[in-house]
Amino acid sequence: MDFTLSNEQRAWQMTAHKFAEEEVRPISLERDAICDPRETFNWDIIKKGSKLGFRTMAVPKEWGGHGTDFVTQALVMAELAKGDSAISKTFTQCWKWSHLIAAVCTDEQKRRFLAPFLEDDTFLLGKGISEPGAGSDNRLPPPEDIKAGLKLRAERKGDEWVLNGEKCFIANASVGKLFFIDARTDPHAPLRQGTTMFLVPRDTPGLRIGKVFNKSGWRFYQNGEMIFENARVPHANVVGPVNGSDMKAHEAGDRTGGDLFGDLELAANALGVCEDACAMALRLAHTRKQGGRVLFEQQGVQLELNRMHLLTEALRSFVMRVAWEHDHKMHSANPGLCMNFSTDVIQEVTELNLELYAAAGVMDARADKLVRDAIIWTHLAGDSVQRMKATRRLAKEAQRSH
Amino acid sequence: MYSLHLSPEQRDMRETVRDFVARQVKPVALRSDRLEARERPLPTDLLDQASQLGLRTLALSEDAGGAGADTLTCCIVCEELAAGDPDTAAVLAQTWTLAHVLFDRLMAPDQRERFLPAFLADQRYHLALASDEPGRDVALGIHYHRSDIADASFRTSAKRSGHGWIINGSKTRVVNAPLAKLFAVAVTTPENVTRTVLVPRDAPGVRVEISDASAAWQHGAPGSITLQDCQVPADHMLGPDEGATLAFELGQRMPQDLALNLGIGRAAYEAALDYAQLRVQGGRRIIAHQAIGAKLADIAIRLQVARTAIWQAAWASDHPSAVEDGSLPDLPLARMAKVFASEAVYQATKDAAECFGAMGVMRDMPLQKYVGDARICLHSGEPNSDTRLRVAEAIAGYQRITAPALAAE
Repeated sequence: MDFTLSNEQRAWQMTAHKFAEEEVRPISLERDAICDPRETFNWDIIKKGSKLGFRTMAVPKEWGGHGTDFVTQALVMAELAKGDSAISKTFTQCWKWSHLIAAVCTDEQKRRFLAPFLEDDTFLLGKGISEPGAGSDNRLPPPEDIKAGLKLRAERKGDEWVLNGEKCFIANASVGKLFFIDARTDPHAPLRQGTTMFLVPRDTPGLRIGKVFNKSGWRFYQNGEMIFENARVPHANVVGPVNGSDMKAHEAGDRTGGDLFGDLELAANALGVCEDACAMALRLAHTRKQGGRVLFEQQGVQLELNRMHLLTEALRSFVMRVAWEHDHKMHSANPGLCMNFSTDVIQEVTELNLELYAAAGVMDARADKLVRDAIIWTHLAGDSVQRMKATRRLAKEAQRSH
Repeated sequence: MYSLHLSPEQRDMRETVRDFVARQVKPVALRSDRLEARERPLPTDLLDQASQLGLRTLALSEDAGGAGADTLTCCIVCEELAAGDPDTAAVLAQTWTLAHVLFDRLMAPDQRERFLPAFLADQRYHLALASDEPGRDVALGIHYHRSDIADASFRTSAKRSGHGWIINGSKTRVVNAPLAKLFAVAVTTPENVTRTVLVPRDAPGVRVEISDASAAWQHGAPGSITLQDCQVPADHMLGPDEGATLAFELGQRMPQDLALNLGIGRAAYEAALDYAQLRVQGGRRIIAHQAIGAKLADIAIRLQVARTAIWQAAWASDHPSAVEDGSLPDLPLARMAKVFASEAVYQATKDAAECFGAMGVMRDMPLQKYVGDARICLHSGEPNSDTRLRVAEAIAGYQRITAPALAAE
């Protein structure tokens, strides 16, 4: 049990902290307030962050990246999220798929895609899974209904695959340059056995981006529609085996290309938001007066601050443990459980913060924003399906150890 | 007798308003401009139609030309309206409440004669209460169970001048400010007494500022007003002891604000229930999954228990004898209902939104608006932390010597 950070880990954390305070936080509220969801994004902050390594830090050293460990990644995600949760997520969305490339792409694919990704400060990554009729079905496919789940079709024509269908809510859709797209390659097989993953560059003929979704929180983060009309993708862009797209979850091993990293990602981001909320609440309690005395003197306020901090510190412990377990290639249901927990924590902590501000008669736009951002966790990290999924992994791990 | 039977009039009223909401309000409320969190335009056409139905004068006595609705009836109407559009409900409820309080209770006969005909004749004549002031510290908080309550007198002043009054000051969080043609303004007189003066919108020196609803954390049409050397005739001042009556009457009507909150929860619940019966995931309609079924049950339980608490508080307002004869406990029922209902409805809207997955957070869908609207209820008015402390003082029988200014709250 050694909680000491290495010098390298601390250096990353401090750089991220400085960047979040000096560059991210100052634009956070103004970006949040923009009404048009296409206009909330800002390339300037992406370029600045990219130059500091926040776009590419998860790419392995042998492929020219920073090869940071998971503990470092968790620290940086939390620091960036302290400045703005949605901006942090835009960077880390690239890490998620950097992990996937490193884990499952061939050397030829890595050469083709990692090199341009590393070189270009505006090269963002995304992955398309959800479709209008397929959300939970992709996460927990029902065994009794093999047609359930994504419908986007890919058919092989010689050296190419032709994709037809539609994806929705796809992260970075309107700003990304390369996407991992799950498509049905065997419509008669269950989802997990009939789906193939493709590397699809933004300029693929037949691919267009539809609307950008207008969310109540995470306003900076771009979730859009992707429409495939006879989109042609070379066979060389198939990731892993045909009809084997679930290699990221299945036998995930230490290849946290998606699910396991994604779980840590949301939990670490939540931690940053909670730290911000705690700091805001403490600041208010020490400065705002009621009846001539600072709020901090009131028992009710102390109890709320206590609740906010104990939840936040418990989340920190869980997040750092999961990151450490990733670094030590230990597999468990913890990432999923931690992500579920982060939903409860981020929502309660941000709501308590807002409550303190509102009770003091301060209508604070940031306190409101943090609550709206936290609501996003419900469907990404803490709905019933995500919780049952973690439980099922728990059962699987228990079986494996017997 | 504490009875849960609604009268035929109450049932009719509910049907009429429910029908109005389904036909007229819902289609407008679900329009994209009304789903925006910021700067959503007030549906003035709906307000006009509701006025024509008699809702603007719902609580005004029949003698004065209204429907004379009691608190429970107002709760029923408020819930129905808010299930369609909380802003519409908030505007109308404020006007019908003040119509009852001002015209039926507080105005002298000659004042009533002066203002009532114009109010009745004009469907767009709304009323507002201008009480709160910027930076005014009226929280209980640190004063819990202590007698050293903060000085709550108003900085807005009324000074005599010839045959009238000159008013100076600013008022914030004035519900209906953008619409009101008559403001009841709490002021401090030169004798350092709190009084309420009637200020017509077109009086010289009145400036109204409209604030956007979500930033102001209020439903309806919030705003602020500034009175600069505003002149009103002497007869616009309400009687010297009317402050306590005003506070009492507004307290009696408090359950309808909770019913408005409940209406928001019901809209979310109905949307989730419908969707859960249509949406198929996991091989069946999602309502057939335990996880969603239990969530919908929780929503229904929360809303029904909240409604029970709200209606009981309303019944107590309408039947003071029910408390006197021990049929109902002598407790701050409305405050207790408020804490429970505001928290229960907020959780219910979040659970309802969860049933919609990612669509639950999209601004072109109503679920995120229900969550936001419930959050406004949770944080508008007296904070729940203070309400809890006031309940605590009440159940302990703690008596504070009330400053005259506080009585006007």
